[in-house]
Amino acid sequence: MMFWILIALTTGVAALAVLVPLARGAKVQTGAEGSADEAVYREQLEAIDGELKRGLIDEEAAEAARTEVARRLLAAHDKNQAQSGKQLNGRRLKLAQLTGLLLLPAAALGGYLLLGSPGQPDLPLEARLSAPADQQSVDVLIARVERHLSQNPEDGEGWAVIAPVYLSQGQPQASARAYANAIRILGPRPDWLTDFGEALTMANEGLVTADAHRAFEQAVSMDATAVKPRFFLAISLGQEGKKAEAVQAWNNLLEGADENAAWVHAARQQLAALEENGDAPSQLRGPSQEDIAASQEMGADDRQAMIRGMVSGLADRLEKEGGSVEEWNRLMQAYTVLGEKQNAEDAFASAASAFADKPDELSEIKDAARKLGLSGS
Amino acid sequence: MVVEFGHYALVLAFALTLVQSVVPLWGALTKDERLMAVATPVSVVMFLLVLASFGALTIAYLNSDFSVLNVVQNSHSAKPLLYKFTGVWGNHEGSMLLWVLILVFFGALVGVFGGNLPSDLKAATLTVQGWVTAGFVLFLLATSNPFARVAHPPIEGADLNPILQDIGLAIHPPLLYIGYVGFSITFSFAVAALILGRIDAAWARWVRPWTLLAWCFLTLGIAMGSYWAYYELGWGGWWFWDPVENASFMPWLAGTALLHSAIVMEKREALKVWTVLLAIFTFSLSLLGTFLVRSGVLTSVHAFATDPARGVFILTLLCIFIGGSLALYAWRAPMLKQGGIFAPISREGGLVLNNLFLTAATAAVFVGTLYPLVLDAITGEKISVGAPFFNLTFGPLMIPLLIAVPYGPVLSWKRGDLLAATQRLYAAMGLALVMTLFTFWLWGMEKVLAPLGVGLAVWVMAGAISEIVTRVKFFEIGPKRGFARLWGLPGSAWGTAVAHFGVGVTVLGIVTASAFQVEHIVTMRPGDKVEVSGYEVTFDGAAPRRGPNYTEEVGHFTVRRDGAYVTELDPSKRVYTARQMPTTEAGIHTIGFSQLYLSLGEGRGDGAVDVRVYFKPLITLIWIGSVIMSLGALFSMADRRLRIGAPKPAARRKTASLAPAE
Amino acid sequence: MTRKQRRLTLIGSAGVVLAVALGLILFALNDQIVFFQSPTDITQKSIPQGQRIRLGGLVEEDSVVRSDNAQVSFRVTDTANVIDVTYKGILPDLFREGQGVVTEGVIGPDGVFVADSVLAKHDENYMPKEVAEALKDQGHWQGGEEPESQ
Repeated sequence: MMFWILIALTTGVAALAVLVPLARGAKVQTGAEGSADEAVYREQLEAIDGELKRGLIDEEAAEAARTEVARRLLAAHDKNQAQSGKQLNGRRLKLAQLTGLLLLPAAALGGYLLLGSPGQPDLPLEARLSAPADQQSVDVLIARVERHLSQNPEDGEGWAVIAPVYLSQGQPQASARAYANAIRILGPRPDWLTDFGEALTMANEGLVTADAHRAFEQAVSMDATAVKPRFFLAISLGQEGKKAEAVQAWNNLLEGADENAAWVHAARQQLAALEENGDAPSQLRGPSQEDIAASQEMGADDRQAMIRGMVSGLADRLEKEGGSVEEWNRLMQAYTVLGEKQNAEDAFASAASAFADKPDELSEIKDAARKLGLSGS
Repeated sequence: MVVEFGHYALVLAFALTLVQSVVPLWGALTKDERLMAVATPVSVVMFLLVLASFGALTIAYLNSDFSVLNVVQNSHSAKPLLYKFTGVWGNHEGSMLLWVLILVFFGALVGVFGGNLPSDLKAATLTVQGWVTAGFVLFLLATSNPFARVAHPPIEGADLNPILQDIGLAIHPPLLYIGYVGFSITFSFAVAALILGRIDAAWARWVRPWTLLAWCFLTLGIAMGSYWAYYELGWGGWWFWDPVENASFMPWLAGTALLHSAIVMEKREALKVWTVLLAIFTFSLSLLGTFLVRSGVLTSVHAFATDPARGVFILTLLCIFIGGSLALYAWRAPMLKQGGIFAPISREGGLVLNNLFLTAATAAVFVGTLYPLVLDAITGEKISVGAPFFNLTFGPLMIPLLIAVPYGPVLSWKRGDLLAATQRLYAAMGLALVMTLFTFWLWGMEKVLAPLGVGLAVWVMAGAISEIVTRVKFFEIGPKRGFARLWGLPGSAWGTAVAHFGVGVTVLGIVTASAFQVEHIVTMRPGDKVEVSGYEVTFDGAAPRRGPNYTEEVGHFTVRRDGAYVTELDPSKRVYTARQMPTTEAGIHTIGFSQLYLSLGEGRGDGAVDVRVYFKPLITLIWIGSVIMSLGALFSMADRRLRIGAPKPAARRKTASLAPAE
Repeated sequence: MTRKQRRLTLIGSAGVVLAVALGLILFALNDQIVFFQSPTDITQKSIPQGQRIRLGGLVEEDSVVRSDNAQVSFRVTDTANVIDVTYKGILPDLFREGQGVVTEGVIGPDGVFVADSVLAKHDENYMPKEVAEALKDQGHWQGGEEPESQ
């Protein structure tokens, strides 16, 4: 409302700027105005006299200049005489008044409604950040905590608060960094370690990395009954191809578990998969959460197909663009898991030739191949 | 609410420009005082509205209101307050709003202080100014609206281009814009005069203060821009003949010519046709500059706007204004009567010479700036026209002009005596000769041109002084009366002398800084020393430092002369975090008028850095001279006869009759 | 002097000044402009030694070698051909490997381009327009986003 009153007032002032002179204009006298140029020439005459008096010009030059200016003065005077006499015209005035009264507000309002966003409030950053928390979007809350943390980077509680938010916002890397900070500052806690590991795993698209593995193990060492870290450790064993140990881990985990717990179903799936295929479904290139959710509803054949798809995708990519040692190892492992011995051997050969001139990497690949039982021939 | 109000104010201002575009001129053509009277209050309200609009955008910047697209794209909450403020015009939309603000500011100035103008000329001038304003406000609203909002405001902005985060930039565009947008009012006066058929000596006298004002700011703006490039870009150069620099330099050259030809028109009513044409050209060059900079057709430091829609829009405006005014000129100019006559050797002749060389120089800069664009457009061939081209064309044209400068004011009107004028300048000639020989003696024959350049600069400076001295007949009537007469000199005489002196000072700075500069590029490790022009610069080491929105690697240097401590310098290499963009901050120490200039290159990792060390003799004179020139313009404006809004004729006659009694 | 003579003097002197200006401009345009060339242009055309040119392209990855006294060498590529460049001085702030660059100088007798000035692109979104077009000619530039790979 205030806004529209303000707009009305401003428009009013603008309209008055047009209307007032139109109304008062009749009183304006033209006589003095018309001779503005005569005034300039008179002034020039005075200036010539002044210069003569100061000796800046001589009498002869002054006289010549005076004649010239006087001639201009006369011409201007004649012209002004001829042109004086004002013309007023009622219709013209009405038209001009109409532009001020109607055209001006209509053009301004119309233009504004076309271009503007009436009603959209100002959003100064400070006000947004300090508004009550329950009225704010998650982005603003995150920004608020981030701002706080950039000024107080040693506030471990702050890091612990924002870490799970990042995870739920789909930023596992930021979450992992935040957990790492919280742990560094306030010391390890099993739940933080577990979530740290989970964030790392999600950041690596489902692959339990060495760092994550260590975090889970540390969490278990602090709280041997915790389910979540053991769950991930079991997945990790499966991913490493240690089938027997993985099965053992899953069985331990399921022992005495509450059948209604959400994780139990997933755990049984993993176990079933391990037993059925003779090995764990290796999480190549990391399935996303949707993939995981989907795979839980798929039959065994479908699941196999999905894994196949991922493997061939990886193989294609490595063939065309090359890749890291780790990726080649994963490919060899995946083929072995799928029971495609020949493909695994081919992958090993390709990897060996790709790293032929890099002895360190080559020996890593050979080690991995030996573990998988590949001959290299 | 503030943002939306700012937006509304801009739209309302546009609606007012429509009224201004028709009503006052209609009044002027039909001699209806009531309609003419509309011009003044409307020009003032228009200025207030655009000011409110600019204020609203400023508030959005200061509050980091990220619901405004323009703020999101060009600001950052961690930016220092000063740069939040200057960031308002550090981008395309904001700078165009500033452009419009200055346009309406000049309109309002003429409205308020143009009391001495005939009402029809004033009304018509404000109408023409209204046309220009309407075009540019429409441009803003249609293609570059600074008040566009975003539906889902982000929490952080993209930050201002770091090389623009500098105090020099804070002041440079406003000054530059006041200058070259200021010439719009001269243009409006010219077009109004053509429409009304009122082109006479009085017109020149009315236009002169406005031209002086615009010229004064343009001079300061260019000087400031040059100094900014000098210390912010870290190359140690102060003028690059970059198209954007040329864009502001061309209106300056044409404006300088205009100032001089307007004197002839005012005093002798000669050169009328030419002066009006120059007034049109000067603002056309401003428009051209705006087009070059704002359309993104250039490859240059300043081209931070790239959007073809905008380019086409400005080009259309350019064609309408330039084409329209030239057509009007072609139609009206032949009706002008011949003015006063003069001999080739005369004050008028000198000013004509000045105009010839200045316009030729403008043409050279024009060709050098546009030729690559045109060639690219026609043949697709890519070339660059750099300093060598301009040095070869602009330089030779300036030399005869500078030689002639001291002659101008000492020649008399109508018919001058070259010999007598030369006699009055003997002292200046002698001094110039002595300085030339002295420089030769100092530097030997290795640089032949430089001593001649020094001599030329001294000639111009000494010429300006001797003009004043001979004018008051200092040596004939004794110092006591001489000083008294010094006060009695009209402001315009002072203005001429001071501005010409400034030209000499700038030339001296240019010559010495380019010819006698010493440059070393070395790789230094902590403890290393380098010697430059007698100063020993020691590198003490480098250390990282954190700023509000950047991190930097600062090198610490100690400067000694003959073992005695002189100063410490801390040039640095910054990285602005939001855009991950590096910049160079030079370390500068001023010694007298000369400067020691250090800038850092990339670090080598092992503690060694590349360092550029310059000694630039008398370089500050370049900018000091420019300031003196604009001071000259101020003196001229203060001339009683030129004062804006002088009292009414009756009152004036009374004061005038008292005046000679001083 | 008569009025006519005065006028002729005026027009004559104007003509002389303008002729001189025009002459200077034409001479300078002939002599002082610098053509832009891509590495491919240099390889294919024969450019006379000692002629100033502008060379533009991408700074090849891992090609920058710095030695003492601010001597730098690097390679400029348009992805089809490569030219070796040496430069003494401080590189601009935005000079980076893999990024666009324009250098000005002459080709030495050994085929190495000796640059006396190096300009890098001025901000993150901006590629020197000559470089962008030269790369487009080689089919390796798609207006700003990713280089083609899939």
